[in-house]
Amino acid sequence: MLEVKGLTKIFANSYDGIAGGIRDANFELPSGTFFTLLGPSGCGKTTTLRCIAGLERPDSGQIAVEDQVLFDDTNGISVPMNRRHIGMVFQSYAIWPHMTVFENVAFPLRVSKERRYDNAEIVRMVEEALETVDLGGYGERPATKLSGGQQQRVALARAIVAHPKLLLLDEPLSNLDATLREDMRTELKRLQQQIGITTVYVTHDQSEALAMSDQIAVIERGHVVQLADPKEIYFRPANEFVARFIGSTNLFTGTVAGAAAADTVGSVRLDDGAGIHCLFPDGVANGTPIAVSVRPENIILSSEGSPVPEGHDGLAGTVRAASFLGTTIRYEVEVNGEIIKVMTPPDISLDPGARVNLTFPPRAAVAVARSAEATAA
Amino acid sequence: MSSSVNPAEFGEGRRARRRTFLERGFFDDSRRTMAVVISIILAILVLPPIGILIQQSLVETAPDGSFIRLTLDHYAKLLDDPRVFESTWNTVQFGLGSTVLSLLIGGILAWLVERTNAPFKRLAYATTIISMGTPYVLYVIAWLFLLGRAGPINDIYRSMTGSFGVLINVNSMWGMILIEGFLWSPLVFLLLGSTFRASNADMEEAARMSGASVFDTVRRVSIPLAMPAILALSLFVFIRAIEAFDVPALVGTPAKISVLTTEIYYSSKLIPPDLGHASSFSVILLVVVAVLFYFYSRISKNAERYHSVTGKGYRPRLFDLGTARWIAGTFIMLNFLIVLVLPLSMLLWRALLPYLQGISFKAMRSMTLDNFTSVFESVYYLEYAWNTILVVAGAATLIMILTAIAGWIAARRGPCGAILDQLSTIPLIFPGVVLGVAVMQIYLRVPLPIYGSLWILLIAYAIRYMPYGMRYTYSAVLQIHKELEESAGVAGASAVTAFRRIIAPLLSPALVSGWLFIFLIATKELSIAILLASPNSQVMAPAMFDLWVNGQSGELAAFGLVWTVVMTLVATAFFAWARRQGQDIFGS
Repeated sequence: MLEVKGLTKIFANSYDGIAGGIRDANFELPSGTFFTLLGPSGCGKTTTLRCIAGLERPDSGQIAVEDQVLFDDTNGISVPMNRRHIGMVFQSYAIWPHMTVFENVAFPLRVSKERRYDNAEIVRMVEEALETVDLGGYGERPATKLSGGQQQRVALARAIVAHPKLLLLDEPLSNLDATLREDMRTELKRLQQQIGITTVYVTHDQSEALAMSDQIAVIERGHVVQLADPKEIYFRPANEFVARFIGSTNLFTGTVAGAAAADTVGSVRLDDGAGIHCLFPDGVANGTPIAVSVRPENIILSSEGSPVPEGHDGLAGTVRAASFLGTTIRYEVEVNGEIIKVMTPPDISLDPGARVNLTFPPRAAVAVARSAEATAA
Repeated sequence: MSSSVNPAEFGEGRRARRRTFLERGFFDDSRRTMAVVISIILAILVLPPIGILIQQSLVETAPDGSFIRLTLDHYAKLLDDPRVFESTWNTVQFGLGSTVLSLLIGGILAWLVERTNAPFKRLAYATTIISMGTPYVLYVIAWLFLLGRAGPINDIYRSMTGSFGVLINVNSMWGMILIEGFLWSPLVFLLLGSTFRASNADMEEAARMSGASVFDTVRRVSIPLAMPAILALSLFVFIRAIEAFDVPALVGTPAKISVLTTEIYYSSKLIPPDLGHASSFSVILLVVVAVLFYFYSRISKNAERYHSVTGKGYRPRLFDLGTARWIAGTFIMLNFLIVLVLPLSMLLWRALLPYLQGISFKAMRSMTLDNFTSVFESVYYLEYAWNTILVVAGAATLIMILTAIAGWIAARRGPCGAILDQLSTIPLIFPGVVLGVAVMQIYLRVPLPIYGSLWILLIAYAIRYMPYGMRYTYSAVLQIHKELEESAGVAGASAVTAFRRIIAPLLSPALVSGWLFIFLIATKELSIAILLASPNSQVMAPAMFDLWVNGQSGELAAFGLVWTVVMTLVATAFFAWARRQGQDIFGS
C-alpha cells in the first residue's frame, strides 16, 4: 500500500519565475496496484516519483508505504533513500558498467543494512530475479555487453531482487525502439502481476498508460487533474486538458442549456449557435461555459442530405483532407470554420470538397470542464 | 521548574535542524561527514600559506624572529624601491614576449596537426611527449649550452666572421623570452590542439561551400571561433610566465635582470632573510595573479560556449593544403629540430665530454662515458631520484584521494560543494616561489619535525597541484550519469558505499590520468623545491640547479639525460592512457 498526502515540491525558476514541480498531490493505492503518473514533460510526474524514492526532499506532505512513514514534514520524518527499501528502474537504466550482470543485480543484497545475506542466499535470490526477467544464465556477462532491452531487464531484476514493497519505474520504455517497446509493455505488466508488487509508473505516453495501468493520475502543470481507471479517463475526461491529452479528440465549446444532473444527457448551445446533446458526467448549472468532447472514431460521416439517425445530433461540413491509414481513413472536415477529425472504416470513400453530414450518438459526446487558460483565451 | 522546556518549541527546533541537515542531498549523513572532513583537510592545507604571508608582510620582527610591532613599512618600502619597478617592468616584458612566442609556435603547430593534411604529424606529438618528460631546469641549461658564449651558435658566428664577439647574448631579456617561449610551446600545442579538434567542421565546410578559399575560411570562420579559447590560453600562459622561476634564475640572474619571482627568492635567501620584504612582495603578486585568474575564468567560460559538442570518436575533416603541405611539413620538422633535437643533442654532446668544448672533430677525440659512469656510481643521484619519486608519488596520491571525493561532491552540488571547489582551486594563485616562502615560514613555526624533511615538500606539492587533480576529477564526475549513483542509493547503499563501489571505480581512469599528469609536472618543480629541500631531502630539480651553479655541467648533462629518458617513459604511458580513456568514457 502506498499513501501520498498533500505532496508538494516546487522548483523556482530563476529566469522567468515559472515554477515546475508538484503541488498538493494525494493518492492512496491498495497493494498490488499498477499506478501511472501521466502527463507531458515538465508536468511534475518525475518529481513526484523522485519524492517517493527519496531522491528529492518534498517541501511538505506525507508519504507512507505499508504503514511505514517515509516522509512527514509535520514531525520531521525523512527516511534516507537507502533505508526506504524501494525498487526503482531509472530512465537510463543506470546499469553499472564496471560490474557483471550478476554483481549489478546482487548489489542491493550486498549493501543491505537491515539484513545480512550470506553468499548462497545472494546467489539464489539473484538467479531467481534473473529468471523472472528471462535472463537466466546471463549472470557472468559484463554489463557493457548487453542490448538496450537486456539492460532494461537487468535494471528490473536489480529493482525486485530484494523483494521491495514498492516498485518505481521512471519512463523505462522511452529508450527502446518501437517494436521492443510494445513487447516490453505486455511483459512488464505480466511481471508486475506475477510478483504482485505495488508499482508507480511514470510516462508521457498515453497509450502505454491506458494499456498497463489499474489507476492513472493525469498531471497538468503540477496538479493532479484526474485520478481514475483507464476507461474512466478515456471516456469521461475531467477537463479539456485530459480530453486532448488522452487519445485524439474534437472539442466544441459552448454553454449549458438547461441544468443537468450527473450522468444524464443534457443539451449544450455551441458558440456558433447550433444545439447538441451530450453526456454530463457531473451535474452542472444552466449557463455554465463548457466544452464537449467527441472522439473521431465516434463520428459517422454520410453524404449531405442523408437522413440523420433517430436521436443523433448532426452537423454539416466539407471534407478538406483524407488520409488512408489501412485499417481506417482519417478525414479532416471543416465545420463552421473549424477542422474536425473523423476516423471512419476504410470502405467509406469521400473526396476532398464533398459536402457531408457528421452525426454522433449523444452518449458519445461528453461534457468536459473548460481549462482555465482556455476560458481566459 | 520541570516545564522549563516548552515541548512545542523543542519539537520545532529539532525539526528545523533536521531540515537544514538534509536540505541539499538525498544521501544519508555520511556524505555530509565526508564533505566536512575533506573541507577541513583542504582548509588546513590551503589557507595557512595565505594567512602567514599577510601576517608576515604586516609585522616587524627582530633578527631572532620575535615579534616587534605591526607595520606597513614593508609595503611602503616596496613603493620607494626603484628595483621593484624595474623587476615589474621586466616581468611584464618577459611574460608578454614569451606568451606571444609560445602561442605563435604552438598555435600554428596545433592547427597544422589537428586540422590539415600536413606531413610529419607524429614529430609534433613526439616533441610534446619528450618535453613533458624533460625537467625545465635541464631544458634551460641545454639552451644555455647552445646559445652561450662558448656554444656552437656563437662559435659558428665567430668562425664565419672572424670576430671575437658574440652573435647572441643569451643572458638578456631576448634570451629569456626565447627560451621560455620554446618551453611553453608544447603545452600550447596540446591545449589548442584539443580546441581545434573539438571545433565544428560543419561550420568550416559551410564556409567552403559558400565559395570561401581555405585562407578565407580560416580567417573568417576558424580563427573567430577559436578566438575565445586562444585568448583564455594566452592569459593562462601569461600568468604562468609571470610565475616562472627557472628561466629568470638561470638566464636572467647572471645578467642582473631581475623579475618578481627572483626578487622574492633572493630576498628570502639573504642572511638574515628579509621575510617582511619577501612576504609583502608575495602578497602583491598573489593579488595580481588572483585578478588575472578571475579574468581567465571569465574568458574561458565564454570559450566553452563556442565549444561545439561532438560525438565520440568524432574527427573533423582536414583541410587539404595542396602543395603548401610541404611548407607546413617543414614547419613541423623545424619545430621538432629546434625545440627538441637541438637542445637534447647539445646535452648529449656535453655529457660525452670531460669539460665544455665547442663542437669540433678535435673535441670528438676526447669523448668518454665517464660522466655517465660517475652518475651511476654515485649514491647521491640515485638518492635524488628516489626522493623525487617518493615525494611526488606521495603528493599525487594524496591529491587524487582528496580531489576524488571533493570533485564528486562539488560536481553533484552536494553539501559544502562550493567550499570544496573554492578551497581546491585557491592554490592556482600561488606562484611556486611564493608558496615555497609561505610553507617555509609556516613549518618553521609549527612544532612538527618536518622542516627539512621530505614531508614538507610533499605538503607543498600537494597544495600546489591540488587544482589540477580537482580539474580531472570534477570533469570526470560530470561524465558519469547521475542515475548511476542514484540507483545505488535507492538500492540501499550509503553515500560512502556508493562512492566506494560505484563512483571511485568509474572515476579510476581519470584518477590515473590525473595522477600521472601531476607526477610529470611536479617532478619538474624547481621553485618550491629550491626553497624547501635540504641536503637531507634533496630532489631532482634543485639538485640540477646546484650542479649548474657549482659548474659540474658534465655530470649534470649525463644525469639529466638519464632522468629525461625515464620521465619520457612515464609521459608516454600518460598519453597512451589518456588516449585510451578518451575512447572509452563510462556512463554516457
